[in-house]
Amino acid sequence: MDCKLIPSVCSYCGTGCGILFEVIDGALVSTLPLKTHPVNQGKLCIKGWNLHEHINSYMRLKAPLVRENGKLRKTSWDEAISKSAEAFSRTVALYGPDSVGVLVSAKITNEENYLAQKFTRAVIGTNNIDHCARL
Amino acid sequence: MTIKRITFLQELLAFIGLEGRLHLSWISSAEAGKFVNVINEFTEKIRSMGPNPLKGYDLRPWLHTIDPAGDLGKNNQRLVPHEDLETV
Amino acid sequence: MESAKTVKQWLETGVVDIFLGYRLVEGHPVPHGYTRENLTEVEEMVTPEARYSLEKLATHLSSRHPEAKIGMFARDCSRRALNVLVIWNQLQGENIKTIDLNCCPSPLKKHAECSYLEPEEPGSYKLLGGIAKNAEIKETEARGQDERLSRWMYEMQKCIKCYGCRNICPVCFCRECSLEHPELVNPGRLPPEVPIFHLVHATHMAGRCVDCGLCEEACPMDIPLRLLYRKVNQIVSDVFDYDTGTSQEQSPFSVLGEKVTLTPKTLETS
Repeated sequence: MDCKLIPSVCSYCGTGCGILFEVIDGALVSTLPLKTHPVNQGKLCIKGWNLHEHINSYMRLKAPLVRENGKLRKTSWDEAISKSAEAFSRTVALYGPDSVGVLVSAKITNEENYLAQKFTRAVIGTNNIDHCARL
Repeated sequence: MTIKRITFLQELLAFIGLEGRLHLSWISSAEAGKFVNVINEFTEKIRSMGPNPLKGYDLRPWLHTIDPAGDLGKNNQRLVPHEDLETV
Repeated sequence: MESAKTVKQWLETGVVDIFLGYRLVEGHPVPHGYTRENLTEVEEMVTPEARYSLEKLATHLSSRHPEAKIGMFARDCSRRALNVLVIWNQLQGENIKTIDLNCCPSPLKKHAECSYLEPEEPGSYKLLGGIAKNAEIKETEARGQDERLSRWMYEMQKCIKCYGCRNICPVCFCRECSLEHPELVNPGRLPPEVPIFHLVHATHMAGRCVDCGLCEEACPMDIPLRLLYRKVNQIVSDVFDYDTGTSQEQSPFSVLGEKVTLTPKTLETS
């Protein structure tokens, strides 16, 4: 029987409120605000209060899926990446590079965001990249 | 139990500013005359108190600080863009 | 720390199976469960400088391990909350042991870490149109009905429906909360149906609220919730003669079929 509260930072918007994850017997049970954190001072918005649901959700993807004949089936990483690359090249060849748009988010790291914009601008060759915070 | 809840609620509503709009009366189905009297009296009382102060309440007075002319709130349009969607 | 010795002794002798104390993580005091397997961790226990609801952790633990004996630090408000939870069958009284902390002010200690006792100065707009957080009930009741309604609506419509007040409340334990029912509270729309939203929560807290103030601390919009709930407690104690937290009886709202001496108010047509 174990009860730990692990401090962390909310993964949703760019504010970065302090969070405490309540872990009982190794399973994530609920989320509490960190009262002494300078950014949020013990207050959270509804997205922050429900972080634990997002982590344990049954809707989380656990394996790469590819759509065939209208149904999704599990596949390997290699097949998923090669299929997406084929689809991108086909679209760019048929309709030009400006037909592709990329949306990045505050939930992924700055390094991944940089990689996404490099991919959009250098590989696909378009300027159509935007961020969820602007919406 | 009903009388406990109603008494509590009457006191709470009086604190918020909605006093006197809730009334409890036990009337048997055989006491038709009493029913008519109570309903008429209560209707009179509510009429004299005026309409529900929350009806058509402008829930965004902070708008007056950023838009005193009222351009944004024209035609009662909501600032929340997904107003017309069934689900969010 | 003095209490570290008591805690160690309790864990070793089996008086408690887990003790909810605090530890420092990068300068923040964070609640932590000390167990018999990790006795050396007890050395790092600190006095809490921030108020967390350890009773809520205890209810979560107790629902998974009903026979577990839980020890914890308890402030005055925590002791009242534990009392209420035992009366409402969320915790077993004999499985809880507390080390009492003196948090409310006493002759020896003027200042305490409590949101109510260290009020911040309200700004001028708040005083003009709304209600200050540390307002007194009598002061609010000296105003007329229209002014009261307008001031309460000014405060309540700021609500962003974060459910913080409900999530952090130590005596809130319903699995299906009415505030999340899609027919009663429209999902996805702001502001919520005020003043119904806050009044529903206040009514459900009648007989349970122990005036700990955690809800007001968790509200990002500075709504004076503590004033509302103190009024609820005053009504419960005046009309039903029931002191939430100190009384050992069941709450007046949970007992059916008893004889009541209240009579309904008569209709005055003015």
